[in-house]
Amino acid sequence: MKDLYENTFQSVEDIQQQFEEHNYICNSQIATCAYIAYNLQKPIMVEGPAGVGKTELAKTTAEILGVPLVRLQCYEGLDESKALYEWKYGKQLLYTQLLKDKLSEVLDGATGLRESMAKLESHDDLFFSEGFLEPRPLYRALQEEHGCVLLIDEIDKSDQQFEAFLLEILAEFQVSIPELGTLGAKIKPLVFLTSNNTREMSDALKRRCLHLHIDFPDEKLERRILNSRVPNLSENLRHEVVSFVQQIRELDIKKVPSISETIDWAKTLLLLHTEHLESDVVKETLNVILKFEEDIEAVSGQISSFIKKAHKE
Amino acid sequence: MQQTLEDFFKVVRSAGVNISVADSIETSKTVELVGYGDRGILRDALALSLAKTTEEKEKLYECFEQFFAFDAFQKTSLLKPQPGPTDKTEQQAGQPPAGEQQAVEQEQAPAEYKGDLELAKMLLRNDKAELAQTMKKAARKANITDIWLFTQKGINTQKIMNEMGLRELNKEITSLGKGDCPAERALSGQLRTGQKYLFQEVRNFVEQQLSMFGKTASQTIHEEFLKSSRLSNIEKRDFEVMVKIVQKMAKRLSSMHSKKRKRKDRGQLDFRKTLRSNVAFDGVMFNIFWKSKVIEKPRILALCDISPSVSSYSRFLLLFLYSLSDVLDRIDTCVFTNSLIQVNDIFDQYPVQQAVEKITNDFGMGGSDYGNTLLDLKNDYMDKIDNKTTVIILGDARNNNLAPQTEVMKLLYQRAKRVIWLTPEMESFWGTGDSEMLKYKAYCNIVKECNTITHLEQMVDTILKVSAQTA
Repeated sequence: MKDLYENTFQSVEDIQQQFEEHNYICNSQIATCAYIAYNLQKPIMVEGPAGVGKTELAKTTAEILGVPLVRLQCYEGLDESKALYEWKYGKQLLYTQLLKDKLSEVLDGATGLRESMAKLESHDDLFFSEGFLEPRPLYRALQEEHGCVLLIDEIDKSDQQFEAFLLEILAEFQVSIPELGTLGAKIKPLVFLTSNNTREMSDALKRRCLHLHIDFPDEKLERRILNSRVPNLSENLRHEVVSFVQQIRELDIKKVPSISETIDWAKTLLLLHTEHLESDVVKETLNVILKFEEDIEAVSGQISSFIKKAHKE
Repeated sequence: MQQTLEDFFKVVRSAGVNISVADSIETSKTVELVGYGDRGILRDALALSLAKTTEEKEKLYECFEQFFAFDAFQKTSLLKPQPGPTDKTEQQAGQPPAGEQQAVEQEQAPAEYKGDLELAKMLLRNDKAELAQTMKKAARKANITDIWLFTQKGINTQKIMNEMGLRELNKEITSLGKGDCPAERALSGQLRTGQKYLFQEVRNFVEQQLSMFGKTASQTIHEEFLKSSRLSNIEKRDFEVMVKIVQKMAKRLSSMHSKKRKRKDRGQLDFRKTLRSNVAFDGVMFNIFWKSKVIEKPRILALCDISPSVSSYSRFLLLFLYSLSDVLDRIDTCVFTNSLIQVNDIFDQYPVQQAVEKITNDFGMGGSDYGNTLLDLKNDYMDKIDNKTTVIILGDARNNNLAPQTEVMKLLYQRAKRVIWLTPEMESFWGTGDSEMLKYKAYCNIVKECNTITHLEQMVDTILKVSAQTA
């Protein structure tokens, strides 16, 4: 297995091409970002609406580079013990119970408290060694033999404390564990942080990252994405589907359909052997792209005009 | 190229994007990596490493297009490029003197330029690229990036042109124009046209630079001025800017104070939480929890005098308070001139700015009667005030010689957590004429002169700080 930084990203075009080979169609901005992040070993903060391929970007990068993807899903209340490491308290407790009998052997006839303590201290701090350490994603990412892609997903859902804690890792790629000392990365992981912008991230965190904003793709790019993800879809239908979805995105609705929903819809239509968009089929499958009753109602009235326009294009 | 990059940072900074030294170092590395070869990639790379939000990205793209635009000397010069010596035709004598009419000048074949002034040669050759290059160099020498006021346009144009060799050019023009030879005079005229063209282009260039480098400078000066001027002197046309300033201040304050929700009380064990968490470990205390205190958001009752003399102050106080809704628990607002009117519903119905406008327009008539207002407060609102309420009164305490009703103030002081009085008047005016300030002062925790937006900010900051400390 090759190390993370042995597989080189030669140029921006090279990256774009490699992504395409792995069915991830991206614009030059995303490729440039990956190129810089890879070569300067900087984390990337990816922002944008849900379903535009933020997580997918990290997954594909890991695939191309041939390294594992370590994922840390953030949520409110996430703390060090869930993200970095935890001591296996249960195991420690069990071992102390089991080894109780061995204690007299260890102490070996020591008399008095002072002597017993000295004897105990002469043994290693076995209960706080790596055997009792429960590694969590961040710890695992630093310990990966060949490097990895670390995906810190939905960072905006975590607390401010956790964000501050991340700073050390993102800047130095090392963490301090009081019982074991400071632990550096074997090979610096390539870090992706994703955010849906539910809250503003701190300047300190932003400063350490490249800031990439992925928006909904334009019609041409979306058709290419659809072509690579659902290759069996006929060209006509692909045009119609993309045009229809693009028209919905212009409406003022609760949740506009994202790329992943377009793909799902295309797959659904394929399954139903649809050749052209027709109002009946669209009406029945509208719940694949729209997730709120109000949105479906809002769009229902305009289906025929949307289809008409989609057919024209 | 490093200099170019630094100039670009300057432009981006003046557009309002914060770039720290660390950012600029990182960006230089990035640019080194991607190179200047591909304009699109360079643009993306700069946006990725400098901009931290989508808005900043847009600003940055705009700056990029402006900064890396090469449109100097793109307008066609009035001069035709002078033909080379090989195809030079014989000059005709007896033509009208040069410098009268351009059309005539151009028709007449001027003498070949034999001097060694580079600038003159460039102008006659109409060498746009060379001219642009020389101008950029001269501009750098003249420190054009330091331009930030429109009044500096003239001097900067002059500096750049001098740097390019204007003085020498002028001398050349005069000496050529003096002679008797019509061809030389024609040449002098041609150079003069060239000089005008040069002036136009340099002037354009300086204007462009001003719009890039000086964009925020003049705004900042204006804002600083507004921050320190008395609120009653602020003119209506500046209200919009003021609203922005207030919102900016409020955002800063709320981000400063919104973080502290709980204060750990280390040393006091939270037994219940600790036991619950350690049940899994047989009651052995691995995880320890300390007691903590929740910091309560301050609850505010604002009483604002909106009689004509004080209304402009009230306007901004209200704007400030309502921009701080993240860090305040609840704001109750009453306005008064001679009686108390609760205006919460207006704030519920309209956006803050509109609400403030409506309130001052609808109720701001008549002279103040603090005594009657306090009686209203006692009758209608006293039961809503408890030891968690901070009462802010804004007014000049000029009671038009009516009864001051200080006993209500005393009651208020005893019930509320804090009573803060903000007055637009300076301390030396307190108690003079019909002012009851000194009487009321006895029953207030804080009385502060407050007549600029900066005073207001300090005041609100104190309120938030104190509430966090006394929780």
